Amino acid sequence: MTMLTAMPQPAPGTPTEQKSQPARSSGGSPRPLVKAWLWTACIAAAFCLLVSGTMLYFHFTALEHDPWQSPRLLELKAQLRASPNDENLKLEIRRLDLEFRQRYRRRLVLDRTGGWLLIGGLAVLVAAARQAAKLRTPPPMPRPDPMAELRARREAARARRAAAAVGGVVFAGLTTLALTARSPLPHSATEIEKLLAGSGAEATASDALPWETFRWQWPRFRGPDGSGVSAFTNVPLTWDAASGANLLWKTPVPAPGHGSPVVWSNRVFLSGGDAARREVFCFDATSGALLWRRAVENVPGSPAVQPEIPEMTGFASPTVACDGRRVFALFANGDLAAFTLDGAPVWAKNLGVPKNAYGHAASPVVWPGRLIVQLDQDEGAPGGSKLLAFDPASGRLLWEARKPTHSSWATPIVVEAAGRPQVITLAVPLVMSHAPEDGRELWRADLLGGEVTPSPVFAAGLVLAVNPSTELIALRPDGAGDVTRSHVVWRAPDNAPDVTSPVSNGELAFTVTSGGLLTCFEARDGQKLWEAPLEIEVQASPAIVGGKLFVPGLKGEAVVVEAARAFKELARSRLADEFLASPAFADGRMFLRGQTNLWCVGQPRSD
Amino acid sequence: MNASTPSEPTSRRAFLRHGARLLGMTALGALGGALAGRSRSEGWVWQIDPAKCLHCGNCATECVLEQSAVKCVHAFALCGYCNLCTGYFEPEPNALTTAAENQLCPTGAIQRTFIEDPYYEYTIDEELCIGCAKCVEGCSRFGNGSLFLQIRHDRCVNCNECAIARTCPGDAFRRVPASRPYLLKTSHAQ
Amino acid sequence: MVSTLCLFALGGESPAEQRFPPPDFTETGHQLPVTTTPPPRALWVHYLDVAVLAGALALALWLIYKKRSRRGLFWLSIFSVAWFGFWKKGCVCAIGAPQNVAYALFHPEYAVPLTVVAFFALPLIVALFAGRAFCAAVCPHGALQDLVLVKPVKVPAWLEHALGVLPFVFLGFGLSFAATGSGFPVCRYDPIVPIFRLNGPSLMVALGVLTLLLGLWVGRPYCRFACPYGALLRLAALVSRWRVRVTPDSCTQCRLCENACPFGAMREPSPGVASPPFVRGDRRRLAALLGLLPVLVAAGALIGHRLGPAVAKLDPTVALAERFLQQQQSPVDHGLMTPEALSLQRAERDPKGLLQAAAEMRGRFVLACALFGGWVGLVLGVKLVSLSVHVRRADFEPDRGACFACARCFRSCPQELVRLGLMPAAEAPRPASEPQAVNA
Repeated sequence: MTMLTAMPQPAPGTPTEQKSQPARSSGGSPRPLVKAWLWTACIAAAFCLLVSGTMLYFHFTALEHDPWQSPRLLELKAQLRASPNDENLKLEIRRLDLEFRQRYRRRLVLDRTGGWLLIGGLAVLVAAARQAAKLRTPPPMPRPDPMAELRARREAARARRAAAAVGGVVFAGLTTLALTARSPLPHSATEIEKLLAGSGAEATASDALPWETFRWQWPRFRGPDGSGVSAFTNVPLTWDAASGANLLWKTPVPAPGHGSPVVWSNRVFLSGGDAARREVFCFDATSGALLWRRAVENVPGSPAVQPEIPEMTGFASPTVACDGRRVFALFANGDLAAFTLDGAPVWAKNLGVPKNAYGHAASPVVWPGRLIVQLDQDEGAPGGSKLLAFDPASGRLLWEARKPTHSSWATPIVVEAAGRPQVITLAVPLVMSHAPEDGRELWRADLLGGEVTPSPVFAAGLVLAVNPSTELIALRPDGAGDVTRSHVVWRAPDNAPDVTSPVSNGELAFTVTSGGLLTCFEARDGQKLWEAPLEIEVQASPAIVGGKLFVPGLKGEAVVVEAARAFKELARSRLADEFLASPAFADGRMFLRGQTNLWCVGQPRSD
Repeated sequence: MNASTPSEPTSRRAFLRHGARLLGMTALGALGGALAGRSRSEGWVWQIDPAKCLHCGNCATECVLEQSAVKCVHAFALCGYCNLCTGYFEPEPNALTTAAENQLCPTGAIQRTFIEDPYYEYTIDEELCIGCAKCVEGCSRFGNGSLFLQIRHDRCVNCNECAIARTCPGDAFRRVPASRPYLLKTSHAQ
Repeated sequence: MVSTLCLFALGGESPAEQRFPPPDFTETGHQLPVTTTPPPRALWVHYLDVAVLAGALALALWLIYKKRSRRGLFWLSIFSVAWFGFWKKGCVCAIGAPQNVAYALFHPEYAVPLTVVAFFALPLIVALFAGRAFCAAVCPHGALQDLVLVKPVKVPAWLEHALGVLPFVFLGFGLSFAATGSGFPVCRYDPIVPIFRLNGPSLMVALGVLTLLLGLWVGRPYCRFACPYGALLRLAALVSRWRVRVTPDSCTQCRLCENACPFGAMREPSPGVASPPFVRGDRRRLAALLGLLPVLVAAGALIGHRLGPAVAKLDPTVALAERFLQQQQSPVDHGLMTPEALSLQRAERDPKGLLQAAAEMRGRFVLACALFGGWVGLVLGVKLVSLSVHVRRADFEPDRGACFACARCFRSCPQELVRLGLMPAAEAPRPASEPQAVNA
C-alpha cells in the first residue's frame, strides 16, 4: 500500500543515458498482479455503487414513509376525526404506523451500516487502485530542459494572467452580488432610525397632507383636533324641519350606527352596519346624494363568526376618519379599512376583536402621516390595551404602545401641546400622552375611574379630561413620566358628565350631563361660573361655532346658547329624529346624524 | 544591486525570513495576549432555551446527525400526570388508549404508565424520540408545559456552528458553559 | 382540522402555566423519576485531544525530518483520519479554529476555550519553525485526501498559482464573517466533515463525495484550492526556520523529484538573473504591479463595502428582518406552525428590537465585508507581484509554502536511496556540471 517503499525503486538511469525503460517496468511487475488489483478495484467500485445506490434510493423515498410527515398517515388521521367509529380506519392507521416506524428504524440501521460499508468499499477500492496504478506507472524519465528559463518565464506570465483572471472573476462575482442584492431593510443608519421611529411613512410623506389643511375640514370625531370647535362661524342658529328653513337636505342613513359624520371638502362620510354587514358611506355635502357605499368584507383575520356586540353600541360606533386622501373606518369586530375618497378600497386589516363589554367605540383619528387607533380593552391584562399607529397609505403598523389600561370608549386627541405633538388618551386609570411620531410615552397621570366615555379636549394650554360623573380635571401637558401629583392644575367636581365630552372656546369650558345640565367653568382655574338646566336628554357632545354653543338633544331638540360668562339661550330647534352622534361642521353648514336621517343645516346660498 | 555573488541574496532572504518569522511569532504572541484574559479551559456547548422554543420541528430535520441530538425531556415535577395528556394524545383523541391512531408521537417514543387513579406517568424513550416537538407543542399549548426539548450531550457532536441554531425560528439556541450544559424547566415562571 | 384550530386559538396567549396541579401521590407514594442530564465530553477528553494533537505533530516532525519516512507518515495519516476524523467526527478542528479566535477578538463575552486556542496555535507555531507538518498527516482532512490519491494528475503550474488565491479569499471571508459574530462559514461549508460523520446537509455530503472523487486524481483538492487554515499555514511555512529538503546531500538536478510531488510544490532551479533583454521589461512590470497593489486593495474595499448588505442576508437576524419587512408589504401565507410563520410571529412581537438588531448586524457586515474586499485585493496584488519576482534557486526544492511535507519526494531522489543503502553509489546519477553546494 505504501507508495515507494514497498519495493526498491528501480534505479533510473541518468537523464543523459537514455534507454528504453518501460520494458523493464512491465518485466519487474507481473501483469497478472496488475490485473488482480484492477479486478479488486472494479469489484470494490461496483460494491460501492450498489451500496450508495441503495442508500440514495432509501433517502429519496424516505419522505413518503416517514412516520413523522407521511402525508398518507396524516390524511387517515384526519379521516378518522371525521368518522370516529370507523374500525377499519383505525386498523389501517395502526398497520401503517407500525410499518412506517419499522421502515424508519430499518433506514437508520441501513444508513449507518451503509455508511461504514461504503467507507470499507472505498478503502479497498483506493488501496487496490493505488497498487494497480503504481505497478502500471512507468518510472519517470525526465530529460534535461535547456529552455528552462524561457519556459519558466512563459509559465510565470501565464500564471499572472490566470491569477488576474481568477481575481477578475472573484471581483466580478462580488460586484454583481453587491449590485443585484436588494434589501427592504433601509441602507443608511438614519433611514433605519426613521423606520424605527415609525416615519416609514417617509415614502408617503408627499402623499400626507399638512396639518393646515386639516384645520378647515372636519376630518375626525369632533373636528380637526377633537375639540368640537369649528373654524367657521357662519352656521345658522335655528332651523325648522316643517318649513325647511335653514335645512339644506336630509337623506336616509342606510345602516345603523352611532358614529358621527366626517366632512372633507364636499364629501360627508359615515359608517354603519351590524353583525351581517358593515359599510362605509359617502354623501355629497351639497346635495346629500349618496355618492358611494362600500362594504367592508373579506378582511384578512376578521372573525368568521361575528362577536356579540350589545345593540346600544353596535358595530359602527367609532366615527370614521379622513386624512384628505383616504377615509378610514373601524368596526367593533376589529376590522379597520381604508378607502380612497372615491370609494376604492386601499387596504383592510383586522386588529383582533377588542375585548369590550359594551363593544368598541373609540374612533380612529388622523394626524399627518399617521392613523392612530386607541385599542383599550378588557381589565388591563398585560398586552391587551394598546395604542396603534398605522401608515395611512399602506396600513402598515408603524408603532404600537402597550398601555396598562382598561376598556375605554373615549376617542383620543392629537394636539400640538407644550411645543410637541401629543396623542392624549383616556382610559381607566390613566390619562396618557404619547408622541405620534414613534409612540413613545410622554407622560401619564393616574386620575380616572369608572367607565370612561367623554373624550378629552385641549384648550387654554390645558388638557381637560372628564372623570365620568365625578369631576372635570385640567392638566398641564408639559410633563414627563408620572404627572399625577405635579401637573393637575384644577379639579371641578360639579356636574361632571358621564357620556358627553366637554368643549371650550379657550376661555370658558362647558360640560353638559346626560340630563341636560349645562355648566360653565373658567378654563384657566376651573371656577364654576354658572349652570343651567336645558331640560333635554343629551348623548351627543356639544360643539362651539362662532362663539355659540350647540347642544344637540337626544330627542331631536337642539339648544344654542351664547358661549359667554353669563347664560343666554339663543335658540331651540327641533328635528324629528334621535341624535346620539355629535355634529360635524363645514363652511356654513352643520351635519347631524340621526338614527334615521343624515341632516344638513345651513343657509341656502343666495348666489 | 550586486547579484553576482550567490551567497548574498540568499542571506538577505534568510534575514528577511527570519524577521518575518519573528513578526509571525510576535503576532501570535499578541493574539495570545489579547485572548489570554478571555480564554478559559472550560468549553461551550449548545443548548435550547425552552422559554424561547417555538416547537417548530426543525430540530428533527436540521441536525447534522442522522437522528437528531435534540430530544424531548420531561420535567416530571411540573407534570400534571393527566389522563388526557395533550402531549401524548392527538387533539380530540378517538379514545384514551395507547392505540396508534390516538398517539401524537410519530415514533411512539412516549410511554404511558398508570400510577394511581386518575394519574398517568409519561416517560420518553430517547432511542425512539426524533425531537419533532409535536408532544412539546401539545403539552405547552394545553397542558403544563412539562415536556420540552433539550440537546442531549451524549449525542451532540458539538459542532462549531450548530446547524439547527441557524434555522431556529425562535432564536432559542445558545452556547452555554459545558459545566452547566442543560437549561431545564424547573418552574412555571419560565 | 377546524377543531384543532379552535383549540390552538384557545391555548393562544400563555404557553407555559400550571393548568393542572401536579399530584402528590398520597395513595401510592409514587416517587417522581429524575430528568436525566448526560454530560458533554469531559474536560480531560478535550485535553487528551490537545495532547494527541501535540503528540501527532511531534511524531510527524520526527518522521519528516529525522526518519524521512513516507511509510510512517502514511500510518500516522490513517491514525489521524481515524482519531480526529471518524472518532471525533471532525470537531474540534484546526481549520475552523481561526474563526473562533476572530469571534473571540471582537466579542468579549465569548471566552474562547483553551482547546480551540491550542488547535489554532500549535500547527501554526510548528509551521513557523518547520513547515506544514500538520497538513502532512495530522489534519484529518488532508490525511484523508492524501490517502485516497490514486493516480496524480499534474495540475498546470499557472492554474495551480491562479487557484491558489482561493484559500486566501476563503480565509478572509471566514474570518470577517466570524468577526461579525454571525457564524462560522468555514465550518458550514466544510466538505470533508460530513464524510467523517457519515451524514450532513445533502449539499455538503455531495460536495464531500465530489472532493474525494476528484482527490483520486488531483492531489488534495481541498487543501490546495480551498482550505483557509492551509492558507495561514502556508504563510507561516514561507518563513519557516527549517524546511523539507528532497535530498540530504547534494542535488544532481536529475528532475526525478519533480515527478514525485503530486501537489505541484516542487520548484526547479533557476539562475535568478534574467537574460539582459528581459530585465527592463521585468522591472517595469514589477513597478506597475506594485503601483497596482494599493489600487486593487482600494477597489476591493469599495466593492466589499457595497457587498455588505448582500452578505448580511446570510445572517438569520437580518434575513428575518428582511422577510418581516417584505411580509408587511406583500403578505405570503406560510401556513400554520411552519418555522417561517413562527419566526414572523416572533418578529411581530418586537419589530423594533428585531430591526435594530438586524441594522446593527448589517452595519458590522458592511465593515467586515469592506475589510474582506480589501483583503481580496491585497491577496490578488501580492500574488501578481510574487509571480513577477525572480527567485534564485540552486537546487530542486519544494516550495516552502506549498509543500505539505508528505515525504513522497524523499525516496524519489537517487541520493537518498544511496544514503539509505538502497542503491549502490555507482548507479546514482552524477551532476553533468559541477555539483552545487547546498546551503545548510
